[in-house]
Amino acid sequence: MPPQHRLRLAALAPALALAITLHAGLAHAEPDTATEPVATEPTPPVEPTPPSTGDDERARTEALERRVEALEAELKRLAEASAKSDAQTPRAAKPAQSAPTPKSTRTRAPQASSGDSSDNRTPDYAEGFHFGSYGRVVAGGDHRGRAGRDGDIVSFGSRLDESNYAELELRREDYWEETDSYTRIVATAAVANPMFHYSGVFAAKLAMRNLYIEESGLGAKHLKVWAGSRMYRGDDIYVLNFWPLDNLNTLGGGLSYEFIPNLVLKLHTGVNQPDNGLFGQDVARPRPLGQIGSQNVRITDRQKSISSIKLSHIFAVGKQGGIKPVVYGELHYMPKAQRERETQQYESLPDDVGFLVGTQLGLFTGKRSTHLNLVFRYAGGLAAYGEFNAPSRLAPDRTSKGAREIIGALSGNYEVGPFGLLLGSYVRSFRNASPGLDVDDLGEGIVLVRPTVWFGKIAGLSLEGSYQAQRRGVLLRQPDGSNKPQFGQLGRIGLVPFLTPAGRGNYARPHIRVLYLLTMRDAGARRLYPADDIYAIRKVDHFFGLGAEWWFGSTSYFRD
Amino acid sequence: MTNTHPTLSRLLATLGLAVGTGGGCMDFGDAEEPLALQTHVDDWRDEVIYQVLVDRFANGDVSNDFGVRYDDLARYQGGDWRGLRQRLDYLQQLGVTTLWISPIIRNVETDANVDGYHGYWAQDLTQLNAHFGDITELRALVDDAHARDMKIVVDIVTNHVGQAFYYDLNLNGAPDINFQGNGSPMNPTRHYTEYDPDFDPRGVQAFTSLGEAGPAPIVFQYDPATGHIPPNPALLRDPAAYNRKGRTYDFDDPDQLLHGDFPGGLKDLDTSRCDVKQLLVDVFVTWVEQTDIDGFRIDTVKHVEYAFWRFFTQRVRARLAERGKHNFLMFGEVFDGRDALLGSFTRHDILGTGDLAAALGRPGPVDPSDEEQLAAEAECVTDGVPLRGDQLDSVFYFSQHFQAVRDVFQQSQSTDRIEALWTARATNWGDTPNEDGIGVAPRDMPINFLDNHDVPRFLYNVRDRDAQTQRKLLHNAIALQFTAQGVPCIYYGTEQGLAGGNDPANRERLWDTGFDVTHPTFAWVQKLAGLRAKYRSLRRGGLQVLWSTTAVADEADAGIFAFERLGGDGGGSYAVVVFNTNATKASTTRTETRDMVVTAPAGTVLVDVLGGGGDAVTVGDGGVLEVTVPALSAMVLVPQAEVD
Repeated sequence: MPPQHRLRLAALAPALALAITLHAGLAHAEPDTATEPVATEPTPPVEPTPPSTGDDERARTEALERRVEALEAELKRLAEASAKSDAQTPRAAKPAQSAPTPKSTRTRAPQASSGDSSDNRTPDYAEGFHFGSYGRVVAGGDHRGRAGRDGDIVSFGSRLDESNYAELELRREDYWEETDSYTRIVATAAVANPMFHYSGVFAAKLAMRNLYIEESGLGAKHLKVWAGSRMYRGDDIYVLNFWPLDNLNTLGGGLSYEFIPNLVLKLHTGVNQPDNGLFGQDVARPRPLGQIGSQNVRITDRQKSISSIKLSHIFAVGKQGGIKPVVYGELHYMPKAQRERETQQYESLPDDVGFLVGTQLGLFTGKRSTHLNLVFRYAGGLAAYGEFNAPSRLAPDRTSKGAREIIGALSGNYEVGPFGLLLGSYVRSFRNASPGLDVDDLGEGIVLVRPTVWFGKIAGLSLEGSYQAQRRGVLLRQPDGSNKPQFGQLGRIGLVPFLTPAGRGNYARPHIRVLYLLTMRDAGARRLYPADDIYAIRKVDHFFGLGAEWWFGSTSYFRD
Repeated sequence: MTNTHPTLSRLLATLGLAVGTGGGCMDFGDAEEPLALQTHVDDWRDEVIYQVLVDRFANGDVSNDFGVRYDDLARYQGGDWRGLRQRLDYLQQLGVTTLWISPIIRNVETDANVDGYHGYWAQDLTQLNAHFGDITELRALVDDAHARDMKIVVDIVTNHVGQAFYYDLNLNGAPDINFQGNGSPMNPTRHYTEYDPDFDPRGVQAFTSLGEAGPAPIVFQYDPATGHIPPNPALLRDPAAYNRKGRTYDFDDPDQLLHGDFPGGLKDLDTSRCDVKQLLVDVFVTWVEQTDIDGFRIDTVKHVEYAFWRFFTQRVRARLAERGKHNFLMFGEVFDGRDALLGSFTRHDILGTGDLAAALGRPGPVDPSDEEQLAAEAECVTDGVPLRGDQLDSVFYFSQHFQAVRDVFQQSQSTDRIEALWTARATNWGDTPNEDGIGVAPRDMPINFLDNHDVPRFLYNVRDRDAQTQRKLLHNAIALQFTAQGVPCIYYGTEQGLAGGNDPANRERLWDTGFDVTHPTFAWVQKLAGLRAKYRSLRRGGLQVLWSTTAVADEADAGIFAFERLGGDGGGSYAVVVFNTNATKASTTRTETRDMVVTAPAGTVLVDVLGGGGDAVTVGDGGVLEVTVPALSAMVLVPQAEVD
């Protein structure tokens, strides 16, 4: 952005510094990210009324005045929130940041199904560079000294024994006076296990989870447009590390429009290419023009295109509470292609299509993140396999026709006084496209509860209990001569004492914590592992760990 | 870019971006233009041929050193056409006038940890081997050679291609190298490789544990990294273009000789097919048209039918004559010690498989009459010009390699073996020049060589002698090579005293020698080439043996072999050449019962221009010439008048 186009607010620096100080103090305990935890969050505030677009100095002055007013209103709100928060949880003072936050002039309903506190608010637009992060690091192992390992048998189980992961988000945000619009450029780098201090290998398993630009208010005040590479998703079940309704990872773009306050339509389309021979096939060919050697040629090179639509609205209930219904759909498509079976012998691959429909009903009180979310979704064909997966066990016509996935999920949070209770549960039924049942056809479910008690404002203790079960589409011979489907069950009990400098709240972070997790597998659960796998042997497992988890200032939990 | 709009095309050309209309700002020399073919040779007998294994001669362009491994002579070493071009001074100084360069076309890159650096594993007959350069480099080499009045002969193979396919003997769709059988009488152990199974006259048969299963499927390999990709042009990707009978193991069996794969998995083309014949003419004539080279050295000649050679040589000559190129030399490798077999590929008789069998000493079919054979072969003729008996212009004198070079000059056997061989050539080899050929009867122009890339070097075979003797033996043989009737052909490195054994030890990097022009053998070759250039009799003269002997011990003439070069196309030039192949004593051209009588009249003063035994001798009464030649040396005696 040319410097001359940038709004300068030097005169407002003292007020802004205070505002940012307060905001930073509130924002450091926000929920997280990608494959990472996010409770249902408030939608970001609507930007201020745009100034007139004329070139005259008067219009500029008016625009500045409107922004100052908006900033003053924000300052007042933040000061009130701070005072309220200070009454509950003392916070460390943060250094001043640089810019004010645009605010909507609309009257808004309560902001989200679960967020009743600014702890969980998304970062507002503020000019300059910003940093956010989610992370978890754990040092631990089992009772015999083996490294820690995820012990769940369902697709999404307890996250207590998940391995190290962190996102480092750098963001650039600008307000454009010329167009009264905002730009946000987001780059989120993520690192996964193993860590250097664990393996001694000076390397990182690195991925870019976000790399996109979002324009807000450009051309239409309530319009947002984005393009790039983006995690694009809705509400999660934190304790299961699971986004039950929508969770897309594509290269593409989208837009959202708020027709009336809190009635938002989101459209998105994107592509990806799973790392699978059904999508890409490289074969060696002689180098051209008579040169020596070979080079790879991409014979199969097709992409999966995924489009989504989401309509959500928040109906206010009382002063802070609300009801948030969501309807959602996806369309998946991949074109026909060909691949090489034998050398220079080709076969055709048909095009394929899938769809997904889902709905969510969220209820929230607006107080201490108390909420309850109910989700149902149905996916068919290509969509049943998920956006990053290649379809497998295909139908006779080599499409994913006939595959389907059904998910029902219930999650929530309740906090009162020094007590809190998190709930995560779902049931899932999956059938692949091949006729008949096979080992990949399954039904599974989990119920997980995590009660917590806080000791004062600096520490707490969580218990976690879960029951999970999975049935697969293979029959096992029984002693009585009958055949029954493979069925495994697993129970887990966890104990998590933690330090919480951000104070009370199931979504308050950071945490420094000690982990203990007892896992009990029945014979069916053990059968899911190959011979000599320790989980095929052990009925009972103990996991001990010492770790940390944090989140702050990241867009990954934005809902747009 | 024929579809480019003219204005756009001009604009692109101006910008140097035009494609298909020129190189733009890229300078390809004259390689973009069609060549006007020319005849660069007056009489091939005037030439001194130097065999170049391009990969081993000189590395002039390191940018094309793909996969070279200096520690392994079975792999590419880096030599190229630019390196050869940069060393033309060296060769000209040596006295060389013609370069025979190893095959130029793209080969299978690597097979069984051996590279196709030699060029005999064709993969694409239409592409050049990028290890050696591109068409610009090849043309530049030919142009530079022609500018020095040097000629270029290119090695070609028509018998086979490289390791193009495998026989799926066990029908499992994968190439196997395996043992089978339990050793019992009913199920003997056999070792087979699907890349190179033994010859089967029925065609290679598939088999399973239950027995034979019919003709083995042909599976063209596809591994671009090693260059195992289906051959080009497209006809060569048709299994029917091959004989598919497996590896030759009995080289005297006419069926195996003609139709078996060459050892090493080199797949034998069905050269009786009209389309294969025409393809080979087309692709190799195209390379002449592209480069203006002066001749073909042709590989594995005896493995291909006489009928093919009639078609190929006559059609090549006709095609080139249409383009204005004449006197195009085609000589071949008949790796065999039987002179009659060698000569048969130069004769105009209408020979057939029965004749081949007779030459191999095996029973064979009764060939149809000449008319019937030519009528059958005429089915392949598309230009209406009937085929004749013409074949190759010459062949390598392998019988001399064994019977003279090895037996006499290395092993000191009696020199009458040479006379017998040379005498037989008069009847074994073709006595008539080919129509629109080189104008010389094949029997008058054998290709005289001491060694080559397929046999141990001369010095390797005498490695048990002391160094001085080794050199004398070599120099004496070189003297024969340069004075005998025919064209001398020097294997690269001979002039530097290289002494490698069998392949690949005999394929050393020449640049390791530093191209030493002071090496005694370099000087010796240089001297002989100079004599040959100076004295017409040594190049074009006829030959008459004056003396040979059965004596190999202490007899007066033990080891003496003498001949005179006169007549023929030698004009009035005259020379007498006398060798003593005896390693222990000086010998003379006189015994108690016999004098050596020469054609030169009495009183003629002959001067030894080689400097081996004396300055001058005078022909005595009755034409008697008596000279004494030191052990392992030779004299080249020419009339005083010619010396002056």
